[in-house]
Amino acid sequence: MTTFNASHHDQLHRALVDRIAGHLRPRRSLWPVRRRLALWLLLEIAVLLRTVTETRGNWAARFASIPYTFEILFFAAAGLILAAMALRAAIPGREARPWQTVLAIVLAISGIALLFVTPMRTDIPLSQFISVGVVCVFFTCSKAALPLIALWWAVRRGAPGNGRAAGAMVGSAAMLFSFAIMRIDCPLDEPLHLITWHLGPVIAVTVLSAVAGALWLRFPLRRHAVSY
Amino acid sequence: MKPTDDSERSDRSRRRALLMQRLQAGDSDACRELLDDIGPAVTGFLRRRIADSGELEDVYQEVFMALFEARQTYEPGRPLEPWLFAIARNVAADHLRRHWTRASWQELAADPPDRPDLSLDESPGAAPDLAEALEKLPLNQREAFSMLKLEGLSLEAAAARSGVSVGAVKVRAHRAYKALRKLFGGA
Repeated sequence: MTTFNASHHDQLHRALVDRIAGHLRPRRSLWPVRRRLALWLLLEIAVLLRTVTETRGNWAARFASIPYTFEILFFAAAGLILAAMALRAAIPGREARPWQTVLAIVLAISGIALLFVTPMRTDIPLSQFISVGVVCVFFTCSKAALPLIALWWAVRRGAPGNGRAAGAMVGSAAMLFSFAIMRIDCPLDEPLHLITWHLGPVIAVTVLSAVAGALWLRFPLRRHAVSY
Repeated sequence: MKPTDDSERSDRSRRRALLMQRLQAGDSDACRELLDDIGPAVTGFLRRRIADSGELEDVYQEVFMALFEARQTYEPGRPLEPWLFAIARNVAADHLRRHWTRASWQELAADPPDRPDLSLDESPGAAPDLAEALEKLPLNQREAFSMLKLEGLSLEAAAARSGVSVGAVKVRAHRAYKALRKLFGGA
């Protein structure tokens, strides 16, 4: 173990400061979290509007059911909170508070509990269960794609200290919001279908996003990739 | 704490925030002034985490490069210190993680000892010294304890340096006291 040498440290500091000051270029600070979150929400609203204009059937009538309405609100709120947490995670010193994580989890669990208001059916033929479900997986993922890419890009412009957590937040935010939108698009209320084909992709994409975040989002690890 | 200390600290914090805004605008004089100003604070912060001076200097450079590369994430108008120490903490934690991984691999690669090492007194009754006990605490609790009890910082200063709320520092310190009491055989 070497001992601390103050004069050597001063020389190192001076060389470092000269190097940094010599390469300094103006760089605008990121927009505030609120503004970026509002833009992300606008994007989600655009996806929602596109969905409701394309959806056949009387989707508005389903909102007469209070559990259904609350379920959608809970998932959308959980998605929004996670998006805010992801954006904050990219600002050093402004990482999400534990209560925000708890709130997002409570909202998502409450939404999942409300799925079971409708009785579960087990008499659906397996081939029909799979063929209908695969379409829902595709639409759940496709409706989340653009918001997920936008949020990933916004987080990557920052400096998240915990890439895995930031990645998980990005994935879960976009997918939970997509889940809420798909509840309007998909006419089925059957819990087994929703858990398997709607919630399954949410969990899978969240896990994949967390792995991707650990590899590509964590700030100190990707410092060498940043040029002056 | 004297009111003048608080006022000096808040003046310094405001000045640093302004220098950081000028740094974001590409002002190299402000950059030099700011880095000279924060240098001792960053060194002090790192010395509490890294004992070896060679490693400390590596991490010091990494912290400064990270500050430079993450400069767009500083939000003008906010105090600089929570942002600064959050980056320093992340870089130091990253370094320690790499260090432990490397040490584990080296240990695995080395020949296993013929006999277990009995030189350390690990009998149940033996109390550890403070440094050993602190090593056993989670990083955030160790930090809270060190800042409040070893450095004598106020709760507000410790919170600003850690980039968390005063309440969070209190909770971490309380948990550290409880864990230390247990380690030293207290109730």
